Amino acid sequence: MHGSTTPTPSLTRRALLKAGGVAFIAATGPQLRASPAEAQAPKRGGILRFTFQSDPVTGFDPQQTISFVTQVPLSFVYSRLLKVKAGPSVKPMTYPIEADLAESWTQPNETTYVFKLRKGVRWHPKPPVNGRELTADDVKYTYDRFLTVKGNPNRPALESVDRIDVLDKHTVRFVLKEPNAWFLDMLASTSTWIIAKECVDKFGDLKKVDSVVGTGPWMLERWEPNVRMTFARNPNYYIAGLPYADGVEMLIDKDPSSRLAAFLAGKTDFGPEYQQVVRRIDLQLAKQRKPGLQTAEYTWFTAGAQGLKIDKPPFNDLRVRRALARATNLQEVYDANAFSQGQWTPNPVVPAAFAEWSIPIDQLGPEGRKNYQHSIAEAKRLLAEAGYPSGVKVTAEAPGTGYGPDFLDTVQINVKNWKAAGFDIDLKLKEYGAFISSTIYGKFDQMYVGLRGAWADPEAYFYRIFVPEQPNNVMPVNDPKLTEMIKLQRRTLDVPKRRQIVYDVQRYAAEHGYFGVDGSVNVVSAWEPYIKNYMPNNGFDFGGRMMAAWIDK
Amino acid sequence: MANSAHTITVPDAVARPWGVPRSVRLALRFCRRKPLGGIGAVIILALLMMAVFADRIAPYAYDESVARMKPPSAQFWMGTDNLGRDVWSRVVYGARISVTVGFATVTLATLLAIVIGVSSAYVGGTYDILIQRVVDAWISFPALVIILSLLAALGPGLLNLIFALSIIGAAGTSRVIRGATLSIMQNPYVEAARAIGAGHGRILLLYVLPNIMATIIILATIGLGTVILAESALSFLGFGIPPPYPSWGAMLSGSGRTFMYHAPWMALWPAAAISLAVFGFNMLGDALRDVLDPRLRGGR
Amino acid sequence: MRNYVLRRLLVAVPSLLIASFIVFTLPRLIPGDVVQLMLEEKAYGKDLDDLRAKLGLDRPIPVQYAAWLGAVGQGNFGESLWTRQPVVTELGRRFPVTLTLGTMAIVVAILIGVPVGVVSAARPDGALDFFARSAAILGLSIPAFVKAIVIILLPAIWWGWTPMIRFVEFSADPVTHVLQFLLPAVILGIASAAAIMRLTRGMLLEVLRQDYVRTAWAKGVGERVIVLKHALKNAIIPVITVLGLQVAQIAGGAVIIETIFSLPGMGQLLVESIIQRDYPVIQGINLLVVTIIVATNLAVDLLYAVVDPRIRY
Repeated sequence: MHGSTTPTPSLTRRALLKAGGVAFIAATGPQLRASPAEAQAPKRGGILRFTFQSDPVTGFDPQQTISFVTQVPLSFVYSRLLKVKAGPSVKPMTYPIEADLAESWTQPNETTYVFKLRKGVRWHPKPPVNGRELTADDVKYTYDRFLTVKGNPNRPALESVDRIDVLDKHTVRFVLKEPNAWFLDMLASTSTWIIAKECVDKFGDLKKVDSVVGTGPWMLERWEPNVRMTFARNPNYYIAGLPYADGVEMLIDKDPSSRLAAFLAGKTDFGPEYQQVVRRIDLQLAKQRKPGLQTAEYTWFTAGAQGLKIDKPPFNDLRVRRALARATNLQEVYDANAFSQGQWTPNPVVPAAFAEWSIPIDQLGPEGRKNYQHSIAEAKRLLAEAGYPSGVKVTAEAPGTGYGPDFLDTVQINVKNWKAAGFDIDLKLKEYGAFISSTIYGKFDQMYVGLRGAWADPEAYFYRIFVPEQPNNVMPVNDPKLTEMIKLQRRTLDVPKRRQIVYDVQRYAAEHGYFGVDGSVNVVSAWEPYIKNYMPNNGFDFGGRMMAAWIDK
Repeated sequence: MANSAHTITVPDAVARPWGVPRSVRLALRFCRRKPLGGIGAVIILALLMMAVFADRIAPYAYDESVARMKPPSAQFWMGTDNLGRDVWSRVVYGARISVTVGFATVTLATLLAIVIGVSSAYVGGTYDILIQRVVDAWISFPALVIILSLLAALGPGLLNLIFALSIIGAAGTSRVIRGATLSIMQNPYVEAARAIGAGHGRILLLYVLPNIMATIIILATIGLGTVILAESALSFLGFGIPPPYPSWGAMLSGSGRTFMYHAPWMALWPAAAISLAVFGFNMLGDALRDVLDPRLRGGR
Repeated sequence: MRNYVLRRLLVAVPSLLIASFIVFTLPRLIPGDVVQLMLEEKAYGKDLDDLRAKLGLDRPIPVQYAAWLGAVGQGNFGESLWTRQPVVTELGRRFPVTLTLGTMAIVVAILIGVPVGVVSAARPDGALDFFARSAAILGLSIPAFVKAIVIILLPAIWWGWTPMIRFVEFSADPVTHVLQFLLPAVILGIASAAAIMRLTRGMLLEVLRQDYVRTAWAKGVGERVIVLKHALKNAIIPVITVLGLQVAQIAGGAVIIETIFSLPGMGQLLVESIIQRDYPVIQGINLLVVTIIVATNLAVDLLYAVVDPRIRY
């Protein structure tokens, strides 16, 4: 959906709204198959194999974790009302929305959405649901639980929902408390899987593997912890003919070298890293071993992040924050990185991976733009102006484990450059668990260095960080003008207008130094020549993207 | 460094034994009797020199970017890493970490072990039984859990690492020291000292401690190797010294592994350094054990 | 004999209790409890408290400990806070992997350590002895993870060969299943082999100096018989002791080896559980490991009696 720049045949939401608020979306199957580059008829059968770095250690309940290690395996099994479109026609880094379990939807007014469900959708033929038909009650049950179950960290996604009404067996209405322009995007995010009441009733929650019963393209067949998870084709899937592959095998392997070895040896069909990526440093080897390897380049969600306490010295001074930005040398960081090897994109507040919402750096204000130009001399000058001509002592916290060696390399390069500019950094490493459960909630002295990219919607990156009282607003930012802009964009349904406000938010934040400069890696996804009709993208919906892929062997 | 082993030629020293100080003569005699121990001593000496004079020996600073991922050459003896740093310089500075952690930990652990071991043996009775049950628990228990939990609680860092490793190291050592103390206390001269009314402090300081010193020195030397090994293993798991300070274990595990197909020298040199250092302490410890206290051979 | 076993067990109980209490308490003192980790960065204050209450984590630690001890007494080890799998199931899956690895490592250690030690002692200070001793010290000195990395690394550089590191279950392919343990077991066993070799050599040398061996020499008994029959039998006791100590050693070494070779054993599980603050799993693993080590030590003491009838209890 994200606006007119998306060259996709599916209807954008703006187009839907223009069409008088009433829209109808055709079944998605034929669209996914229609790709001019592949005139060949798709083949059925075969197993899609890929490696993944972790078991779902966070359990199987989509409403109890935001973690990709849970949501990715669930993407093969579950469905939701709307989904992010996939396939070769979708440009990576754009996230157009299309219907999934919903057949069509209307928006009678700013705060009301009515969804018509597909008829004849059946749950997987597994106990305790045993293949009964999916109805509007399931949708209501799912989202009532989503909003009320204790400890659902995904709840902010749908917090604007006031109530859900079942109008008939196949019609359901969502009434919002206030207009929220991102509501449909939120519904299409990967924690909103429609779940069955029987499973919750039987198991108490959905953490156990036996409770994974969905309506999606594949059924969870077997989980051998630490070894693999296998999925079998759902014979009753509601899009006729899909999925093409008979099964999916997700091999669990924590070690990057052994994942690469498996890919090179032909044990898997997709690149060895997260999102089917091959590190650039291994790319030449992979291309040598696999002539005709298909690749796609795009920018990752994941980006570096610095949290600064702006309510006390030294970062209460805007010039000190700017000095830190000028001292940062992103080119050096991404030259050393095994994934990027010099290929990267600078990020404003909204990561560049949201191509339609992230403001290009050259459209920032003059001061905001300068933040991205590395200069130790300028950094020193700014520090001196701020009253620290001989440098300033700063304690910085960073996770010592959990983010991997590339992250620690980044930290070392940054600390070195910051020191060169006069920031005498006292680096305190924290254990990963302690870091993500206390530091990022604001329990740090002056500064932290971490990663961001846990959020799959562009709004989270400024809403949660800049709006007062949000748990992630740890700097803390309390700027009425900024808050006003953020609230305004949420009420603005018109996409180009909203984009302009989101751009303004990013300009404003950059100008005021509410945000440290960072960048994201331009990764290379790779897959075997015999895998057809596939295109990678950001996001946890591996299942959605593999559903229409087929094997030509 | 290795050259210094050859410059100390034994025949010369033997010809004029009165011309050299006693300590040197003793050292030479040790080297002659225990050549492997001598090699160990030389390695350790080299390690100490590297640690103390790191800033003079290393051609570059440990966090200085010079050239990215260059293989070993005349300019960069051990190549450079992915951040463009000279690996040889980092190995030299890494010796500082190993030496600091090693000596600090062993000192702390040994002091703790002496207090526990000697008091347990000397006081005896219920106190001994109680303390020994705690030591039992301590020894029988996977050390990694305590270390990882402690480091997670305190946060990774030099001091915390030393503290955690000392606590683990002290338990086993205290058991041996207790045994040694018990056997010393059965000696007639301790009985005699007691009979003439010597105080506890006097007995401990004049009779017990000097007689268990050999044991302590041997345990400490071998302990140094073990601690250096443990430090590198913890750094390997990501619980070691924070970057950019170069710890051998961390150099090996982090980017060393990431780039292992592309720049193997990043991992191989620190690996060699760890092995050589531990090798040195093991050999010296062995030789000292044979010379000072053959009874300990075959013990822990 | 029975009294001795009983007394030994009785002495072990307080140690076990102390150990279990430490294991219980320590992970709970780490900042960032399991509830915060579960809810990650989107948690609400009230949700945290509710979830803590649900998991029973809001009670004082001694109360939690007593409850856990009571449950363990009834054979209930609880379930993982994350996956809701019973801890016993999890251990049942991981333990055989570590057990296989450990057993193979000890077998490797004995197969290398004892014969080399014997040969080395038979000709002390000979070339073979010198070589064996140097190799042993080297084997002790090179950390297991360095050996592992070099073994994976060098073939990859020289011949472009990478070992296929992927866990294969016994049921899937028994031969591959056992073979995949070979490399890690050898690496893990080498350090223990070195320790055993040195001890065997040392003890054998001492025994060979004893009067009865000299008598045997004088009687004209062959060297082979003397070394293997008279001397080795007496030298074996301390070797058994070291073997007991090596069990703890190998249990520790397994953590890193399992991580490097992607073997789904208990060491890996332990590190993960600590990172995830999965208290019941941490407790379960530790209880098992501590029990094994205590049992091994007991078994070692009893073995003495079998090997050396002079030892009485």
